[in-house]
This record gives sequence, C-alpha cells and structure tokens, in this order.
Amino acid sequence: MAGSKSALVLCMDVGFSMSNSGPGEEPPFELAKKVIQKFVQRQVFAETKDELALVLFGTEDTKNPLALDRQYQHITIHRHLMVADFELLEEIENQIHPESQQADWLDALVVCMDLLQKETKGKKYDRLNIALLTDLNAQSSSDHLDVIIENLKRAGITLQFFLPFPVKDDEEGGGNGGRRSPGHPGTGKGLSMEQKDSVDMMKHIMLTLDEEDGLDQIHTFRNAIEQLRMFKGIERRPMAWPCQLTIGSSLSIRIVGFKAVTEEKLKKIWATVDAQTAQKEDVKRETVYCLDDDNETEVQKDDTIQGFLYGSDIVPFSKVDQDQMKYTHDGKCFAVLGFAKENTVRRHQFMGNQVIKIFAARGDEHAGVALSAVIRALDECKMVAIVRYAYDRRSNPQIGAAFPCIKRDYECLMYVQLPFTEDLRQFTFPSLENNKKFTPSETQLSAVDSLIDSMMLVEEDENGEKRDMLKVHHIPNPAFQRHFQCLHHRAVCPGTPLPPMESWLKAALERPEVISERCQAPLEEMKKKFPLTQVEKKKKLKTSAQIFGKDSEVPDAKKAKGDDEEEEEEYNLADIAEGSVTSVGSVNPDRDFCTLIKRKSLPFGEVCQQLTHRIEQLLGNKNTHYYMKSITCIQAFREQSVKQGNAELYNSYLQSLKRSIPNRGLEVFWDLLVQDAITLISKDEVDGSFVSKNEANQFLVAEEKKEETTAPPAEDTGDFDDLLDMM
Amino acid sequence: MAEWNAYYRNEDDEEEQEEGEQSGGDYKITGRDSLVFLVDASKEMFIKGEDGQPSNFDMTMQAVRSVYTSKIISSHRDLMALVFYGTEQSKNPRNSFKHVYVYHDLDEPGAKRVQDVDALQGEKGGQLAAETMGSGETSLGDALWCCANLYSDIKLRLSHKRLMIFTCRDEPHGGNSTKDRQARTKASDLKETGVVIDLMHLMKPGGFDVSIFFRDIVSPPEDESELGLQLEPCDKLEDLKKRVRAKEQKKRAMARLNLCLGEGLNVAVGLYATAVTARKPGAIKLYRETNEPVRSKTRTFHTQTGSLLLPSDIKKAQVYGKKQIVMEKDEVDAIKKFDDPGLLLIGFKPMEKLKLHHHVRPAVFLYPEEGEVKGSACLFSALLTKCSERNVFALCRCISRRNYPPRFVALVPQKEEIDEGKVQITPPGFNVIFLPYADDFRTLDPPQFPTASQTQVDKMKEIISKLRFRYRSDAFENPVIQQHYRNLEALALDMMAPEDVEDLIMPKAEQMDHRLGPLAQEFKDLVYPSDYNPETKPAAKRKTADTGGGAEKKPKVEVSEDELRAHVQNGTMGKLTVPVLKEACKQVGVRTTGTKKQELIDALIARLGS
Repeated sequence: MAGSKSALVLCMDVGFSMSNSGPGEEPPFELAKKVIQKFVQRQVFAETKDELALVLFGTEDTKNPLALDRQYQHITIHRHLMVADFELLEEIENQIHPESQQADWLDALVVCMDLLQKETKGKKYDRLNIALLTDLNAQSSSDHLDVIIENLKRAGITLQFFLPFPVKDDEEGGGNGGRRSPGHPGTGKGLSMEQKDSVDMMKHIMLTLDEEDGLDQIHTFRNAIEQLRMFKGIERRPMAWPCQLTIGSSLSIRIVGFKAVTEEKLKKIWATVDAQTAQKEDVKRETVYCLDDDNETEVQKDDTIQGFLYGSDIVPFSKVDQDQMKYTHDGKCFAVLGFAKENTVRRHQFMGNQVIKIFAARGDEHAGVALSAVIRALDECKMVAIVRYAYDRRSNPQIGAAFPCIKRDYECLMYVQLPFTEDLRQFTFPSLENNKKFTPSETQLSAVDSLIDSMMLVEEDENGEKRDMLKVHHIPNPAFQRHFQCLHHRAVCPGTPLPPMESWLKAALERPEVISERCQAPLEEMKKKFPLTQVEKKKKLKTSAQIFGKDSEVPDAKKAKGDDEEEEEEYNLADIAEGSVTSVGSVNPDRDFCTLIKRKSLPFGEVCQQLTHRIEQLLGNKNTHYYMKSITCIQAFREQSVKQGNAELYNSYLQSLKRSIPNRGLEVFWDLLVQDAITLISKDEVDGSFVSKNEANQFLVAEEKKEETTAPPAEDTGDFDDLLDMM
Repeated sequence: MAEWNAYYRNEDDEEEQEEGEQSGGDYKITGRDSLVFLVDASKEMFIKGEDGQPSNFDMTMQAVRSVYTSKIISSHRDLMALVFYGTEQSKNPRNSFKHVYVYHDLDEPGAKRVQDVDALQGEKGGQLAAETMGSGETSLGDALWCCANLYSDIKLRLSHKRLMIFTCRDEPHGGNSTKDRQARTKASDLKETGVVIDLMHLMKPGGFDVSIFFRDIVSPPEDESELGLQLEPCDKLEDLKKRVRAKEQKKRAMARLNLCLGEGLNVAVGLYATAVTARKPGAIKLYRETNEPVRSKTRTFHTQTGSLLLPSDIKKAQVYGKKQIVMEKDEVDAIKKFDDPGLLLIGFKPMEKLKLHHHVRPAVFLYPEEGEVKGSACLFSALLTKCSERNVFALCRCISRRNYPPRFVALVPQKEEIDEGKVQITPPGFNVIFLPYADDFRTLDPPQFPTASQTQVDKMKEIISKLRFRYRSDAFENPVIQQHYRNLEALALDMMAPEDVEDLIMPKAEQMDHRLGPLAQEFKDLVYPSDYNPETKPAAKRKTADTGGGAEKKPKVEVSEDELRAHVQNGTMGKLTVPVLKEACKQVGVRTTGTKKQELIDALIARLGS
C-alpha cells in the first residue's frame, strides 16, 4: 500500500581482529564503521521508508533472542528494525567501539535472519537484505550451512558481504596467502586459516543463492565508502498524467505523461526558529497592512481588496471579479495544433523547467500502436507536433512541442513548453562580424582551434568508441550534497564550525585533470594572442558636487544653498545632453553658458562672446518669448560675472546694448529688463568694476528719463562685430 | 511582436540604455521614454473623407488612443503628451503661446487620458474639439517651442524623446516665410536636445508634398538606405493602431560575469534573459473603503513575549531523521556558496552530445562586455566562430550570482542572422543551456508496446503533411494574460464588456477536420479495432494500468470498534488506509481537522487507547 520499502539488517563485526591493521593503515573496524555511517546518513537524508536494524557481533555482551545454552554468544541486537534516524547515527558515532570477543559470523547471520523474519511479519517489504561487515576472522562451523542457505532462499533474503580485502571469483579456495592488491591494505598480511575457510563458505553461500552474479555482492570496505560518499539523490515517485492526444476532433489516442526531467529542489525548506529556544513555535511572522498616511493607520486584511495598475491609475479588481472574468478552459488537454519542421523549434527557446515523456496508456495496445505510428512518422519526417497542453482545469494552458523519441527499448513523445509572444524579448546586439575591431586574425583563430583540440571532453578510444570524460548528468547536484554534509555535521558535532567541502565534490566541479594538463600550452598561447585589459570602471555619473566642485570653494556663503538647487537642475539638463555642451547653443544659451563657465574649458571671455552672440540673435526676433530668453541670458551673464569677479565684459556689453535700444526698436525689451532690475555690476559687488552702486542703479532709471538717442560709439559696435567675426 | 515597437526603438535608444545600465541598471537611471503627439487642429483636419470615411482628426485620435492603451500595458512609466496646434483657444503652462492647446501634459498615461481621447472621437468628438479648442491661426514654431518647454519642465531623466506631428497640411503657414523660418529654427533646437521629430502626414486631396516644408522639420532617417518620408501615410498610421498588450522589456543584463578560460584569461560577458515566462502583473492591495493602496509590513515577533525579533534573534532549522538541526542564517547562506560568480570553461563537446531532453530551465544569452574587459569581444568572437565552425559547444560551470550553487551549462554558438531588410533576426552570441544533474532525472518504467507497421506510419505521415504549418515562436499570445489585460482595460475605461480574446493556442478543430478529410478515419481503421473507443476508459484495466492516477473511490470499508482497538493495541493502525481511518473517526465520534494519516491515527489512538 504505502509504496515499496525494504528491510535491511546491518550486521557488523566488532570483534578484536577487526582492530588489527598494518602500520599506517586504518583498521578494518574503522572502515566498516564508516561504511555503516555513510549508509545510514544516506537513508536519513533521503528520508526513505526503508527500515534498518543493526546487529553487532564480537561484543562482550550477548543480547539476542536465540542466545540459549551458550549458543549464539557475543551477538547483540543493537537496534531493531525501524526507519533510520539521527539517534542511530549518534549511536554509531558514540557507542560502537571495537570489542574484545570474537563471534561466529554464521551465527550472526542466523540471528539477523531470525530478526528479519520476526520483525517483518505481517508487513509488506519488497526486499529483505542482510549486509555483513566482517573480516571473516572468527572460527565458524559449517554444520548448518545448507540449512541456512535453504532458509535464506525460502525467505527471499539477499546477502551482501563487505570485507577488508578483495575476493576474486577465479580464485581457488584460499590456499596461498600473501596476495597483494594495491589500494586494499587489509590484504597486506595475507589471510589466516580461519579467513580462508570462511571465504570458501561465503563463496559457497553466495554462489548457491545466485549462481551467476553471486560474487558481485561481495564488496570491499574501500569501494563501498567510495560509492556511498554521495548522499542519495532525492527520490520521487513519477506521477502518471493520463490524457488524450487529439488530432482534430475525431482522432484521439489514450496517453499517459510522466515528468522525465525537471529541476529538482530540496524537499524541505528552512524553518525560522527562535535563537534561544530553537523552537519554531516561538517565532511568529505577521503581515499587517497600513494606509500610506502619517499615522500609518493599520487596516485589517479583510478590509483590503486587490487592484491593478492601469497606467498611472489603480483599478480595483476584486478576486471574485477576477475569477469570474478570467480566462477559463476545458481542462486537461494535449491537442495537436499542427505539425512543424523540427528545426524551426529552436533549442534555446525551450521554456518551463521540465520535459514530459508521453507514452500510450498502460495496457492499451491499440493506443500503443497508434502512438507508435505518430512517433515514427514524426521521426521519419523530421517533424514535431505543436500542441496545446493543459495539466488540468486550474492550471494555465501552454503551447509546446512534442518531439519523437525512439530508444532501443521504448518509444515516446517528449513534450517541452515553448514561449508565448509575451515571453520573448527581442533584443538586438551589435554585430560581431562586421566590426573590424573585433574580428579575430587567422593566428588568433588557430589559437582557439588548438585550445578546443586540447579541451575536447569526448574522445575516441583505441576501439573507436566515443568516451565522454565528464557526464554532467551523472553528477549529483552539489548543492544537495553540500547541504546534507553540513546538516549532518551540525547534527553529529554540534557547536563546531561547518566543515570544508568534501574534496571529491570540489573535484567534480573542476576540469578533469587530463584536460587541465593538456590545455596549459594552448592557454598560454591564447594569452599571448589575445590581449585582455580590465577597463577601469567608468566613473559613475558625476554628481553635481563633482561637476561643480570647484565652485563650492568660492567663498560666498549666501549663494550656497540656492545655487545648489539650481545646479541640480542644470545637472539634469547636462545629463540629457550628455556632455554635448561645447558651445553656447540657441536652445538653452543661459544654461550652456553657466556650464561652460563652470567647466572652465574655454576662457571666460570667449564664452561671454558666444553668449552675447546668442543674445543678439534672440533679440533679432522681436518677440516676447525671445525677449524673456534674452533676459535669462543676461541674468546668467551677470551672475557668472559677479562670481568670476569680472565685471568689465558684462558692463560694457550692457552699456552698448542700452545704446542700441532705440535704433533697433527694442524698447519693449528694455522695459522688461528694467522690470527685472538688471543693473550694471557695481564696485560693491566686484572690485574691478568702475561703476558705483549708485551709478549702477541709475543706469536703468536714467535711461527712462533721457529721451535722447545716443548713437552707439563706434568702437563698441566694432568690438561686437569683431566678436561675431571670431566665431 | 508588432512593428510598432520595432519602428520606435532605434539604436541610439539601446546605447543609451546600455550606458544607463553601467551605473546600476536601475530604472530611474536608465531613463524613461517620452512621446509627444503634436496634432494639427485646423479645419482641414476635421473634413470627413468620402463615403463617410473618418476625418483625419478622427483617425489621429484613434491612433493616439491605441498608442496610449498599448503604452499603458507595455511600459506605463513612459511619458506621453497630447498637444494641439492651430487652435483658436490656447492652453499651455504659462499661457505664453497662442493657438497651442496642451491637452495632456507630458506624464504617465492613465485611464482618464484614454477616456479623454475617446471623447474626441467621432461626430461628438469633433464638436467637443470645436467647442474647447476651435481652429485658428497656425504657428508651428510656437507649437514646437511649447513642446520643448514640456520636455524641459520634466525633471526626470529621459532616455528617448520623440515628437510626432500629425497633419494633413503640407504648408501650415500658407507661405508665411517668417513663420516657416521660426518653425525651422525651433525644430532644429529640438533636434539639438535629442528630440526625434517624426511626421505622420495624413491624406490630403492632391497628395501631401513633404518637400515643401516638412523635410526640414523632421529628423533625418537613421538609416541611409531607408527614406523615412517615403512611407505611405496610412502605413505608418496602421502601425500605430496596432495594439500591443505585452509588457515591454528593456534590454538589461541579468548579470555581468567573467568567462574564465584558464588562469588569467577572463573574458567579460553579460547574461541576458531573452525568453522569460511572462506573468500577469502583480496585484496591489487596496483599502476597501477608499480604494487607496495600502502598504504591507511584515514583522517577526516572539510568540510568548510579543517582542519584535531582530535577525540576530532568529536561527534557521530543518528536521531530518527526527532531529532538528539548527544553523545561523549566515551559515545557511554559506552552505550555498561554492565559488565567486562566474563561468568556468570545463571543455568542449560535439553538438550531438547536447541532448534534447536535457532541459531544466529556459536558456539565457551570452554576449561580450567590451566595456568591462577590453579585448573580450575579439576573443568571444573567435570562440564563437570556431565553436560554430567545428560544431561543438563549450561546457562551463556557471555560478550566476553570489551564493548561488553551481550549474553546468552548455554554451551553444549562435551566428548572427539578418533578413533581407538587414534587420537582425538572431543576434550573435552563445545560448546558455542549463544542464540537468543526476538528481533532476526521474526514473520511469516505460511501458512496452508493439511498434506500428510501416503502413500505419505512412498513413500518419499523410496526416502530418496535411497539417503542416510554419512554426514561429512569436505567433502565439498567452490567452490568460491577454484576457487579464482586456478585463483590466474594460474596468478602467468603463467599457461594457472586455474585448474578445482570440485563443491562438486552441486547435482549429473544424479546419483540421476539413483538411484531413477521410484520413483520420482511415488511420483509425488501421490502428484501432472496430469496437475500440479511445474516449472511454476500459474500466477493467484501469486499476492495474497506472498506479498514480487512480482516482476511483474505493468502496467504503468499515472496521468494527473491536478491530480498531485491536489495531491500537498491536500498534498496527498504520495498516489501515486513510478512507478506513476517516470512516473509523466518524464511527467513534472523533472529530479531526487533519487529513494526514498520522493525524487520523493519533486522534483515534487518543480516543481508543486510553
């Protein structure tokens, strides 16, 4: 009912011979303990339903139901059949030590069998297994060997042996000791008589149980540790999705879909706990809603409705309305829209995060044939089916492609989601080919060529068979491995910092060694051929302080604040034009003028000339708007002149301007100037000025009274013409 | 996507965006697009066409409306303005311009504006326009100046400025050279500040002669080969009217990384998401009474003391093997860290090693960042050329962000493709395909079936060839999102009912049946026996068929209370199935809220065990 699970007895020898080891070698006991630890860890983190029992033999004590009349001595059932947990891991870590007795491994096996039979009664398991970890160094009597084998067979119990030394199947019953096999240090001392006998018995058992592959279930500790170092992948039972593939309204085929590839996530998420008590219940997260007013008035969740932005407006759109108006469809569906050439469906446009394999409904042969016809026809035409896919009524429909897939032992369609228009972002990128700067030379290309040669991961071996050095899809997700490693460490060794990454995992994420050696020379060549220089990070857009930094040094306390604001605005504008201000333009001459002065890239005089030129142009238009613009220019001129402490240019320009008013019919403009009280720059403001404060003020007033029309002095206009000529 | 976008996005736009990005990629820094509609409101615009054709003014309003509604959905942060010129009345910020009527100031568009434009359409619209604005003198120079002021009043950073003139008069000033000159000056001023001026010339009896006046006003075409002005007036207008209901995405790198070929050989690259599942825009919570938006605040507090908990008062925990394992928050992050972000070249593999079904995530696009490391583009280009020439992909380890665990990716070369019009169809670069780990595969037990005979296959081939079509990835709109936008539009604009959505991913069954003719029946005759109906589920086989999908209700099984007690005592409650347990709960009068097996068992034990 509750799915398949298996029952396993780990039967470990802790007898004294297990602690024997050659110099510098790890004793078999430690290795066996590691095997058990790793195995249990995997079980714990994979959260399997499998049940485990642990039987130790060679213990001082005896604790097993068969121990009567001095039989089955020194065998302890440490843990009965149950799901593995951290308690077991901790016990293994802290309570299992080498002990001083020896026990018959066959006796231990019988205890395990007895345990399995008793404790699995009435429950369903699809596998019963006993794993024996021993050096086979204790004397054992082969009296009941046949009975034991018979019982194993009858109960359907499988056996695995884990030994400190390798056993070859072509070997004759022990005999000559001193076999040396590098990498298996346990064999160093040769086998004792007892071991040789035991090996023979073990082989006999294994071969009787399974004539062909019996010996495959005899492992060494070393190999086992290698294989167990990875945490077990997360197991998920594939969920069947029965549906109908339809082509048009009359043709349908019963199908069933299974997720075949999908980005697997860790099943558990981190819970937030209180730091002191480590209790989840002590922490509560709460979301409150409040109005955006000064009091942040709280609003009950029930008093909120949802809305959506429509441009600058918010449109209230309650959940109920939304559900009523939303797109609805008929539910589960796998309907062909049409067929398209396989190459029109681009690999990089695959969407979603899964591939679904579609088979004919189980047990329906007719559907099987029909689907097979579709698969084969698609395959032969190099076409794919474009389908509408909907998982069920509640989920959004998708568009996708069904690719034919023909494998040696089965056929199926593979469904992958494709993009909607809305999903696509049509970005264009500058061409790389047509740009001479980026076009690599022949020598550069050949350097890349040899790099590729040296780094090919797929090679033909001597038999002409392709060998892939790095199959990514065989690597377990390193994130999970690391996660479990750290969790395990924290659980078993609390209070210590997290361990470094395991070396095998690190290595799995690097280049294979062969490759990194082979590519050294081509890489050096590449380095020579392709100069790469880190570009100094372009400075972030300058802040106003940076642009106008020098300005702030002007010792004028009054202007500081007001000017800052203004400068902010100027800065915005400068931004838009993005450094294009190289001369005083006609659009914003005043701003250009200020920017140029501040930048100090041109001499003050020249910038002033440019400005006056613009003012003259503006005044030529005889229109109030242009007058206003001219006045802002003059104001800017005046301000900057004061800042620069240079009144001469401004004063002389204004005086000449005043003289030309009547001639040019600019009286209206002059009135505006008077209204804005734009005076000459006086001595009080700038030291170098020849104009007194009074004179400056009189400048405007006097003109109003004086009706006389003074012709502009020749030298002034001359100056002006010169100015124009210079531009 | 519609040409509208393509038409109105040009290259300098992109460059500006890229520049903006370097300073962080924030929206504000990237700047917003802006668009001003400058519409002629002279009498000529209101003249109806022959056979009741809408007036030019009407057509313009339609276009404006569709651009408004499109923009609202695609990029509502962009600024838009509607300005009329040649009006009798004046309305502008300082009222300094006569005969210029700013109908909508430069701002984000909203429902109100769409309704405003709606009101200007048709017979009534014409009247309304006449009442509020009227037709009067024309000074395009003033109008342009007024628009320039609109731009300069905006304190936001604008990335792209465009002005569109809608008119049917090729001589707006009737030959007044002063006004013509003024307009030209103002136009060049505008262009100087980066405003692109476009002309939407409308139908005019006798044809619209661009060369008389407007040639000097509009911005020159960006591309020499394309003479912008030769476009037929209607074409451009049609483009404008095309509705786009898709969020416009700015080109923005997801990440800038180094592609490390080896020690000291780092190529700067940018990762771009070119296909991302679009979702409905998120909802905003509003206060029911006032419809004003509310802010949400999330806080974490201690259940007992009620005091707020700081991040330092909190740890993270997971339970495995009945044990709670606790870690600091920093440690949780540290576990995920393998290395600094970047791409590490592992090696190369022939393309056929990239399996179709090795798909776990949408691909991203890789393009060099010459601005970060000079020389990147050249090396990148060489790598691209060689990979595509030799038909290999580069296998890399990719850590796309800080504290992201690594994934292996295949860099698949993609050559640039351009169409006849020299428009880029596919950009040059590498597509980054994410590869699955061992954990990402699920073990399936594929059912075995006899294979189809060649006659059966051939019949299916006939069917396939009848139903062939050219797949284009941009041909299918998402009906869910489209419906949502239409609903929103209907609510916002007080429409009676939302516009209909055509469900493009619905099979056109009728058409297909028609095309297939007798083929479908012929195929069925070949593969199915006469009494077989794929629509009905063979009930007998069903149970053994698929274990996962078994939804049939099992007949109710009841257990007596004695049996239950026995189970409780023997600790064998676990053997009972959930329906039985539920039934048992009812029987002994235990109320459970839980539906999990263990909860039911616990409840029963609590009742019976005592």
